[in-house]
Amino acid sequence: MSEPHSPDALRLVSLRKVYGTAQNQVIALDGVTLSLPPGSFTAIMGPSGSGKSTLLQCAAGLDEPSGGQVFVDGAELTFGSETELTKFRRRRIGFVFQQFNLLPALTVLQNVVLPLRLAGARVDRRRCRSLLEQVGLGDRLHHRPAELSGGQQQRVAIARALVAEPALVFADEPTGALDTRSARAVLALLQEAVRVDEQTVVMVTHDPVAASYADEVVFLADGRLAGRLARPTAEAVAERMTHLGDDVTRQAVGA
Amino acid sequence: MSSLALRSLRFRPGAFAASFASMFLGAVILMAFASMLDTSGGPGVSSTDEETLITMATVVGGWGLVIVAFAVGSMLTLSVRQRSAELALLKSVGATPAQVRRMIVGETALLAVVAAAAAIPLAVPTGRLVFELLQSSGQVGEGVGYRFGGFAITIGVGITLLASTIAALVTARRATRMRAADAIRDAAIEDPRMSRKRVVAAGLFLAAGINCGVVTATVFHGKGSDAMQTAGQASIWSSIGLALFAPALVRVVSRVLAGPVERIGGASGYLTVQNVRGRTKEMAGAVMPIILFTGIATGTIYMQSIENAAMDGLVKTNEQSNIETLNFVVVGMVALFAAIMLVNTLVAATTYRRREFGQQRLAGSTPPQVLRMVTLESLVLAATGVLFGSIASIATVVPYSIARTDSVLPDATIAISLGIVTAAAALTLAASLGATRRAIRTPAIRAAVS
Repeated sequence: MSEPHSPDALRLVSLRKVYGTAQNQVIALDGVTLSLPPGSFTAIMGPSGSGKSTLLQCAAGLDEPSGGQVFVDGAELTFGSETELTKFRRRRIGFVFQQFNLLPALTVLQNVVLPLRLAGARVDRRRCRSLLEQVGLGDRLHHRPAELSGGQQQRVAIARALVAEPALVFADEPTGALDTRSARAVLALLQEAVRVDEQTVVMVTHDPVAASYADEVVFLADGRLAGRLARPTAEAVAERMTHLGDDVTRQAVGA
Repeated sequence: MSSLALRSLRFRPGAFAASFASMFLGAVILMAFASMLDTSGGPGVSSTDEETLITMATVVGGWGLVIVAFAVGSMLTLSVRQRSAELALLKSVGATPAQVRRMIVGETALLAVVAAAAAIPLAVPTGRLVFELLQSSGQVGEGVGYRFGGFAITIGVGITLLASTIAALVTARRATRMRAADAIRDAAIEDPRMSRKRVVAAGLFLAAGINCGVVTATVFHGKGSDAMQTAGQASIWSSIGLALFAPALVRVVSRVLAGPVERIGGASGYLTVQNVRGRTKEMAGAVMPIILFTGIATGTIYMQSIENAAMDGLVKTNEQSNIETLNFVVVGMVALFAAIMLVNTLVAATTYRRREFGQQRLAGSTPPQVLRMVTLESLVLAATGVLFGSIASIATVVPYSIARTDSVLPDATIAISLGIVTAAAALTLAASLGATRRAIRTPAIRAAVS
């Protein structure tokens, strides 16, 4: 299969994920095919259990899909050993988690530098500092994560995700543990990374307001794609979500 | 609250396994030696036999109380810390600090009684073995028969229960004095300074150790094996003193080793240095048993080998043989408990870090990088422990050598010291690497969420 000249930042081909035993199967992803161009900001939405977190984890190489293919920046993600996967991720994928996942023993600056050090890459401290200034934490470089608020920790996590200039940044409910004001700051930062630095961001969320910061929303229901919405507003997203719920209920009753 | 104690014991046996193991082993040793008291009440026991048997029972019993209390205390501190979320939950649903304390003490006391009862079947043959050793070395007469009875059981159960309850009271008081919010903050940002109480206690133990050493070399100079009375204690007190100073020692050693560790270990070495610096207290918890093990074992074994060299060609009196046996029993007991404490501390602390390892893997660490980091950490811990343990043993070895042979350094093989150091380092590495390997078997994303 030949890749186009400027490859998609993320391409999923018939991605499947099945949990459980043969008798008691739960299909989390049921053949998802999706392409996202470089420089796009996409929100993935769906009711709980729709498979959106599974999608993100399979696409990021954190969980092994049961079938299908994942291409990041044109390179196929092969599910070998954890070491191979880690090396693949280091160069191509940044990740922002709901629970921040900063290392408690390291300072803010050390946390941001860490991915470069682990990869054995040259550490450009000036760039790390300026990234932290960009996220508004230029005066907190030597604090430990526990000394920061949730919103501040998440902004450190964003700086860390961006430091290796990955082809793709995944964000899994990045505002799920934050108050409204911090959430807005975090979303604005992700948006800025896309607008200014031409980053590609894929964000899973259940919050229509968060989703409205994206360029496009991809809806997921029962492990399948259930439509897309470009230039979303919070109201339009909420409206679609309500109908998604209706569809699921109708199918369940009809079955 | 007592029914809650019972339930948490029944449904979370894993959390109590380490405490149970130390109580069980302690009870076996205590009962085995307490059965010498039962034996001394039997027919055909001469007054010399009686004295030997009673000395064995009381000395080992006394040390046993201290060692079991210390070991159980260190296990409980860890298990209580790991259950801090559960304890905070109990408080938030209305449990008073006193009720939480009662639960912890209740659990521990119950566990101690069960452990002591379970120890009886193993204590009987162990006691018989000790007795046969005494008899075959001629310390106890041929006509005496081994008995295991009331003394063994009362003393074994009593001391195990007493030591465990004391340990539980101290741990529970410390755990409940802290508010839930503080407990979480405390885990994340530690105050690197040692408390004044700790510094004072460490200083007193060290002073006691040095004092015993000085008395050995001066007052007991040329007085034969009587010098053992003070020499034996010297390394014990100075080991405890240095063990209490462990946080400061870890800081000093990590500062010295930071450069080489980072150069050898790359990114893993860098993380090692940050971890040791950022969490000196946790690291110190693992260094303490290494210091105790190395210090006491080295001190006592060299003391006995100096003694044996000095007595070369002479016939040992009954008392001297008794002391030799006691020396090895006490060393064996201390070594065994220090080893259990070391393994338990490392396994618990490493398992506790599963989430951190997960986060580190998500940040781009490969499993070999995590293992390399833990290996380097263990080496720093082991190096600190054996270095200061060996220093503590000097308080026994040099004064005793002066008192018995007039030379500062004993004419004994370095192999003993090397063996002890190697054992300590091997145990440290094996325990932490084994636990880390298990901890990183969970997929990173799940480990980071838990």
